[in-house]
Amino acid sequence: MRPRLSIYGLTFSLPLLVWQLLFFVAPLAFLVALSFWTVKNFTMRPDFDAVNWITMYGKPVFWQAYATTFALAASASVLASVLAFPASYAIAFKLSDTARRWAVFLMVIPFFTSYLVRVYSWQIFLSDAGIVNVLLGYVGLGPYPMLNTVGATMVGYMTLSLPLVILLQLFSLVFIDRNLIEAAHNMRCGRVRTVFEVVIPSARVGLVIAALFCFILTFGDFVSPVYLGGGDPTTLSILITDTTKSGQQWPRAAVIALTMIGTLLAVAFFAVRFAYAGNAKGARK
Amino acid sequence: MQRDTLVSFEGVIKRFGSFTAVQRMDFEIKKGEFLAIMGSSGCGKTTTLRMLAGLEAPSEGTIRLSGKPINHLPTWQRDTPMVWQSLALFPFLNVRENVEFALKMRGVGKAERQRRAEQWLDRMQILEFADRNIAQLSGGQRQRVALARSLVVEPEILLLDEPLSALDAALKVRMQSVLKNLQRETGITFVYVTHSQSEAFSMADRVVIMSRGVIEQIGTPQEIYGAPRTRFVADFLGSSNIFTGRVRAASPSAVEVDTPDGPLALAGGNLPAPPRQGDTATLTVLDTKTHLSVSRPTGQANVVPVRVIGEEFVGATATVYLETAKGQEIRVQKSHDELAGLPLDIGQELFVHWSPADSHLVAEA
Repeated sequence: MRPRLSIYGLTFSLPLLVWQLLFFVAPLAFLVALSFWTVKNFTMRPDFDAVNWITMYGKPVFWQAYATTFALAASASVLASVLAFPASYAIAFKLSDTARRWAVFLMVIPFFTSYLVRVYSWQIFLSDAGIVNVLLGYVGLGPYPMLNTVGATMVGYMTLSLPLVILLQLFSLVFIDRNLIEAAHNMRCGRVRTVFEVVIPSARVGLVIAALFCFILTFGDFVSPVYLGGGDPTTLSILITDTTKSGQQWPRAAVIALTMIGTLLAVAFFAVRFAYAGNAKGARK
Repeated sequence: MQRDTLVSFEGVIKRFGSFTAVQRMDFEIKKGEFLAIMGSSGCGKTTTLRMLAGLEAPSEGTIRLSGKPINHLPTWQRDTPMVWQSLALFPFLNVRENVEFALKMRGVGKAERQRRAEQWLDRMQILEFADRNIAQLSGGQRQRVALARSLVVEPEILLLDEPLSALDAALKVRMQSVLKNLQRETGITFVYVTHSQSEAFSMADRVVIMSRGVIEQIGTPQEIYGAPRTRFVADFLGSSNIFTGRVRAASPSAVEVDTPDGPLALAGGNLPAPPRQGDTATLTVLDTKTHLSVSRPTGQANVVPVRVIGEEFVGATATVYLETAKGQEIRVQKSHDELAGLPLDIGQELFVHWSPADSHLVAEA
């Protein structure tokens, strides 16, 4: 039997559909169209010309920024996953039910404050005359330049993504069948080895999705690379603003934005495929 | 058959907070035997098994394996593989990798691992599924994978925690014979926890019956079935008629007990401890050892007049439910042939009788 349109189903799905069409598909279509427009004498003209694509893809500075952004986001995903795992493991397996509920609650609190505010407060900590350097000065160290470095950008990325990564990891860890862990112990697999042999493979999907979210959040982030990283090295998000400011080059900015969307779609697709690859095991041979 | 002791529980107690799961347990497991630990849920049977596996630590007492105390050893330093009720197969590994897991943990080389895993997969008749995902297997096949995974290290002892409870009745019976044969062929000591009387009695050499953290009786299925030691066991097995009364006369060879339904006699050979005159006594007789007649039999020691209250057919046998004048229920189990010719209408008056040699005194609990 073919599924038929029902008024009832349509009533509930239509608003979402309209919303998606209006605020995602339509702007995206416009962005695609925009990337083929041309700019003459600082004025944009509707056109169908591949010149923006050819220009942008021919610029070494674009590929430089692309590689930087990709590497930063990938590093942030690895770093956030590694930093988050001991925390989410401890929350999932070592805390009592009550303590676990409190821990989840505490993980939600960072989202109460705007990310921009949190990044500004990091400036107070990390600047040359900031809290960290003043404290180091008391013991005769420093000052160390910390603001406007890649390290500071990474601190910002962690501020953005770590609570979410911990929560996502946690939700995959708490659903692991405890019998599997006991069974591994029972077969001579010690505590640490069990983490790698059983816990991580069992939570694989959640761990990969958590890292993917970190990648998505940091790949497009503009705040940390500008306010903590000082805009150097240039990321794609910075390049977009620079491009729009210089001579009304909105069409070229559209090329960058579309490249980013394409990259995120590809990364998300391969990450999800990788996450579920373990489940098809056995059928592969 | 005289066998060496493999495991001994010496005064083992397990408490969870204020709840005592196992109360002062003393018993031994012999090398090469099939031991079933049976009881209803919450009786402490699984806790006992988990203490032996090293998944719970005893609160008091000592557990010895081959004479050596193992209380302080974590489970990964013991050779006490267990088969879980949920089977606990690793869903992210295929069948072969599941079976190789324990060998890998022991540092066995790849080629040797593969050889031994395949040998056990073959033995469990699941070699053709070696490269399959666990999710692609049926319940019975998973059962075999779980067994292969535990047995591949060729342990001295295998612990099984209600492994058949998820299977349907027919498959359960098939797996019972697989388990029994496997145990006989390998000579590995099996400790099998179950709530099912039929599983315990059909497979085990000896059965431990537990209730509320206490061992009620240990013995061969025949011993326990024929002579339940406590009233709990008699009730739990549900195959005995139980009478309570006061001892009128006791000698080493015979005991006579006054019950509301008249004096009942039992032969002295079955006494755990000789009772004293005036003691309260509970005696049992199996429902298969009781007989029915229309007229009062002569020359019989135990004769009780009864009325028929119901009848139940299960396969080739029938159980007749009867009631005495004092309201005591008595069951008689017979084949259909044996019952042929007897009037069994409800309300029909008959006589139940049995031999003093088939009657047993239980320790009052």
